[in-house]
Amino acid sequence: MEAAVSHTFFVATVLIVDDHPSFRATARAILEADGFDIVGEAEDGTSAVEAVHRLEPDIVLLDVQLPDMDGFAVATALGANGYMPTIVLTSSRDAADFGPLVYECGARGFVPKAELSGAALHAVLR
Amino acid sequence: MRTRILVVLTLALAATAGALYLTLTSDHEDNPEFIAALYLVIVWSFIGTGLLAWARRPGNRFGPLMATVGFAFMLGALSETSNQYLFALGEILGGLGIAVFVHALLAFPRGYLETKLVYSIVGTAYFLVLGVQTLYNVFGAENCTGCPDNLLATWDSENARNALGVFAVLGAGYVLLGTAWVLFRRWRAASPPLRRTLAPIFITSAATLAFIGLAIAVSLVSQRAADVMWWFVIFSFALVPLAFLAGLLQIRLARASVAVLVVELLSAGNLQELRDAIARTLNDPDLDLAVWLPDTYEWIGSDGLPYDLAAASAREGKTTTFVEHEGEVVATLVHDSALAEERDLVEAVSAAASLALARERTVQALRQSEGRYRALLDAAPDLMFRFDREGTYLDFNGHPEDLITSPERLLGSRAHDILPQEVADKIVNGVREAIDTGRLVTGDYRVEIDGVQRDFEARIVKDGEEAILIAREFTELKHLAAQLERERDFIRTVVDNAPSLFCMIDPEGNIVRFNQTLEQLAGVPDGPAFREKKFWEVFIVPDEVEEVHRELASLAAEGAAGEHENHWRAAGGGQAVVAWSTTPLLDEHGRPNFLISGMEITERKRQEEELRHSRKRLLQAGDAERRRLERNLHDGAQQRLVSLSLALRLAQAKLQADPDEASKLLNGASEELAQALEELRELARGIHPAVLSDRGLSAALEALAGRAPLPVDVLAPEERLPPPVEAAAYYVVSEALANVAKYAQASSVGVRVTRLNGNAVVEVADDGVGGADPGSGTGLRGLADRVEALDGRLHVESSPGRGTVIRAEIPCG
Repeated sequence: MEAAVSHTFFVATVLIVDDHPSFRATARAILEADGFDIVGEAEDGTSAVEAVHRLEPDIVLLDVQLPDMDGFAVATALGANGYMPTIVLTSSRDAADFGPLVYECGARGFVPKAELSGAALHAVLR
Repeated sequence: MRTRILVVLTLALAATAGALYLTLTSDHEDNPEFIAALYLVIVWSFIGTGLLAWARRPGNRFGPLMATVGFAFMLGALSETSNQYLFALGEILGGLGIAVFVHALLAFPRGYLETKLVYSIVGTAYFLVLGVQTLYNVFGAENCTGCPDNLLATWDSENARNALGVFAVLGAGYVLLGTAWVLFRRWRAASPPLRRTLAPIFITSAATLAFIGLAIAVSLVSQRAADVMWWFVIFSFALVPLAFLAGLLQIRLARASVAVLVVELLSAGNLQELRDAIARTLNDPDLDLAVWLPDTYEWIGSDGLPYDLAAASAREGKTTTFVEHEGEVVATLVHDSALAEERDLVEAVSAAASLALARERTVQALRQSEGRYRALLDAAPDLMFRFDREGTYLDFNGHPEDLITSPERLLGSRAHDILPQEVADKIVNGVREAIDTGRLVTGDYRVEIDGVQRDFEARIVKDGEEAILIAREFTELKHLAAQLERERDFIRTVVDNAPSLFCMIDPEGNIVRFNQTLEQLAGVPDGPAFREKKFWEVFIVPDEVEEVHRELASLAAEGAAGEHENHWRAAGGGQAVVAWSTTPLLDEHGRPNFLISGMEITERKRQEEELRHSRKRLLQAGDAERRRLERNLHDGAQQRLVSLSLALRLAQAKLQADPDEASKLLNGASEELAQALEELRELARGIHPAVLSDRGLSAALEALAGRAPLPVDVLAPEERLPPPVEAAAYYVVSEALANVAKYAQASSVGVRVTRLNGNAVVEVADDGVGGADPGSGTGLRGLADRVEALDGRLHVESSPGRGTVIRAEIPCG
């Protein structure tokens, strides 16, 4: 898994959007360890949209449950704004809890929080 | 009778001898032979027929009257004497015979005078022959040659004599014409048989009068011819009594005979004796007598058996005569047709017999009806008594157990000897009234029979001179009436006190009446003022009048009962929700009405509404609670566990390359895990405190107090309560303590749980700022719902500045 990352042409930039600081820290550590470039963090939907425009990350790891709006709304809003990064939804819940919402909002995929890793992220991107 | 006649006959012979002697020896009689002949023929004609009539009809005065005519004529012989006194007497009484003759003529055939006219005629005749004749003598009538001096002639007056002569002529004219008139009238009124009787008398009388007139007329021409005429007068006059006798004997029944018949009839003991008496009187031994019984519509013969009148009267030689009494036929006589010639006789007999026959008919009718009566009495369920007017029990019919005493003692006793004074008075008065008036008398009385008070209704009817009392017991009826009255009272009480609203309306919707419950609801007392008002106008709120009017109108047309719910007017301008229906119902007069029966459900409606709200709130509270739990789980323990999972994976990755970093990660993970466990425990308590289930309310409240941020004093019984009650009490305290911590700024809280009347009473009192509003906020409202779900109640007292007391009463049953 580590070999796969090292052979990548470029290092993908990632924006982590979650209201829990501990998750953001853990996710940064895991993804950096697996070779991703964490360019920024956001703790709610509004700042997430702002950060996407400002940082233009390749990937947005977007938590579904946010204080102001949920992740689906954020994804829809990003799509409407012209710049569309690859959005990967994450949640402590299972994808089955959300059904078709995950793909209808324009996201590339879903990774449960407990299974978050560079490999899991690549699997979605592939 | 015979002796009397012999005596009279002897007297007559002696008088005749005397009169002949005086006449034949008279020194002043011009024509003694003529006078003697007059005596012999006329006088004896009258005396003889008079005595004969007397012998045949001793009860009739006509016989003696005729004899008297004869004697009176003989008195005229006294004027033949030479003795001055006897001569004067003869002058006075000489004409008496004429007056007595007029008397007899007018008394025929009854023997006595009738009508004032006849009396005046006879009176005038007597006055003329006695009074006027005497006066004429007083005023010195011319004396006959050879006559003794007239002692009466004391005042010779030509004028007086002339005046008396005129008076006498006028009087004689009155008597003559009056007699003629009366006789003419009788002739005209007489039936053919009576005319046959009267004819000889009238002919002889008329002949006599005619000869007298002729004799007087002829005397003006020739005295000898006149003398011859007088002989004619004498002989024709002598025939008059014979004519009388013939008539008298032809009318075989004079008044006296009818009187005899009446006596016989009255003494006749039965129909047979009546028949015999009538048969004797009519001299028809084969006569049949039958009485008519209108009750049974049949004829009864003298033998007491039904009589076939049609067959009997159709027999040869038989004629039927009906006997009437007071205008109705009571009997019939079937007699020999020869008697039809003597209609008067038969009619007289009928008249005489009618009274007795009417009486006998009553007896027969009674006898005939007695059998029917008895059958009727036996068949009738009532008690009957027969009383006489003194109140004596003559007979009774009915069950002896309905009598106040034994039948033996009863019969023959008087009501006053048997019954209480008051009852006896009532009955005897009723009996007398019925007998006297013939009307039905009714009344009621109460007597004690074998220790039981019993009520009777009495109807008293006249029965001859007795009365029949029909008594019908109505004790049972009275009891039934009283029972009915009690039931009616009961129903009225129930109707008035039932929580139901009742209003009776007629088919047009007019109010007939309504009950007290409705009076109280509407705040109007029932009264005549409502009789003409429409139900909906009085009781229904304006907005729904149309609807109710329509419903009731269709109801009256279809007669179907319906269930409705409307707002009715309530006292004080309010409204009440009433569920009502209608039922067709006849009123006490049998008219079709509708009973509207309603139940006020305002409170129930409010409670239902409240319950609905309460359920909704409970549901919402439950939903909110679950949301809170999910969020807490998700935000708390789950997040920590996710972090823990990632940290562990990271530590594992770094274990070889960077053991220090891995160890740091593991330490963090361990801390994270401890916090996740704590959060899970807290959540679990929030769902249901385990200590409450395991250790009971007291322990759970102590634990709650221990976690509270301020001192909490707990006083709760150790005993266990039903789990729902413990849970509700726990949450009341938990929520109250949370509120205290949040808003009350209190320094201490007291929690107390007691048992009172089967309720668990939970009180949480703080010394904070107060002012909590149970109506606002979901906390207190949610508690109230939870308590009310267990039929409990929650009170909040929270005046500003005086702390807050929350008190919940939760039934433990």
